[in-house]
Amino acid sequence: MNSKIAHATIAGSFAAALSMLAAPAFAAPKAPQPTMDKCFGISMKGQNDCAAGAGTTCAGTAKTDYQGDAWKYVAKGTCASIKTPKGSGSLEPIKS
Amino acid sequence: MAAPFETSFAQALLGTEPALPPGLAAHTAAVPARRFAVYRNNVLASLGAALARRYPVIERLVGGEFFAAMARQFVIRHPPRSPLLAQYGEEFADFIAAFEPARELPYLADVARLEAARTRAYHAEDAMPLGADGFAALDAGALGDIRLQLHPSAAILRSPFPIVTIWAMNSGELELRPIETGQSEDALVVRPHMDVEVRALPPGGAAFLRSLADGLPLRDAIGVALADHAGFDLTGNLAGLIGSGVVRAILSPAARTS
Repeated sequence: MNSKIAHATIAGSFAAALSMLAAPAFAAPKAPQPTMDKCFGISMKGQNDCAAGAGTTCAGTAKTDYQGDAWKYVAKGTCASIKTPKGSGSLEPIKS
Repeated sequence: MAAPFETSFAQALLGTEPALPPGLAAHTAAVPARRFAVYRNNVLASLGAALARRYPVIERLVGGEFFAAMARQFVIRHPPRSPLLAQYGEEFADFIAAFEPARELPYLADVARLEAARTRAYHAEDAMPLGADGFAALDAGALGDIRLQLHPSAAILRSPFPIVTIWAMNSGELELRPIETGQSEDALVVRPHMDVEVRALPPGGAAFLRSLADGLPLRDAIGVALADHAGFDLTGNLAGLIGSGVVRAILSPAARTS
């Protein structure tokens, strides 16, 4: 049979797939929530053109540069809960 | 073609060190360095905020301070090419991959690719996915020959890291708990209706969907998927194909002549 897959195999799997659709095989982290509508012109879930867009206020107002190109920041988010082969994901301290 | 003054203004705006564009003057000061610094900071801060809106999971993973500083470096190197801020930051994942201070978070770039794919899916063309009845009507004898058109919002991502789990845990979809990065995960991002959905693909599923997206007939796509992973489960993947809404249409219907 090699790489050729028999018609019967495909047809059988298709029939089985159609019958098992109540249980989706591609695992979604959460069932889709049909509670929100896509509303044009209105922002949703942070996908809008951003609160700091043209003509709006934003956090940067009236501040001047606080840094040049120097890099001193350390990642302090949830990355510490993610283990990599090299150890925890925490970036304390940065080796530079 | 920008005028010389505009060119030097833009260069000063995005330079790594604050510098006043030659010839800039204000009614309050002959050399308005402070005013220009405020303007410059507003440009960088607002573009950084736009980036944070598009990559909220990356911001959560590294923390706000790290993200803001990283975004600033990105903005300087990749200023917007389009007035649509929703599309800003396409190059962010590649930037992260090459960003030295983030090197100890090797999964970060792939998670950013997942977030970018979600935004693209959100703004993609609306299209009704093909339902189960559309598949059920096909001629069973010629199923291997069908070619499919995937949904315009669909994106398939492959990663050696558990990007779907990391994304889900940091976007509120799953409870946060310690995980190992050894587990690879492939993702399907699609918006069949109103909501963008992120799904983890089973073994061989990404190769299967990409082959179908490339226009291979179903039989050949199955062959590619089996070559990619011997554990490819045809029935499960077909159920996912139909149930996820990732198919928009059958391009070559099963032949009725045979």
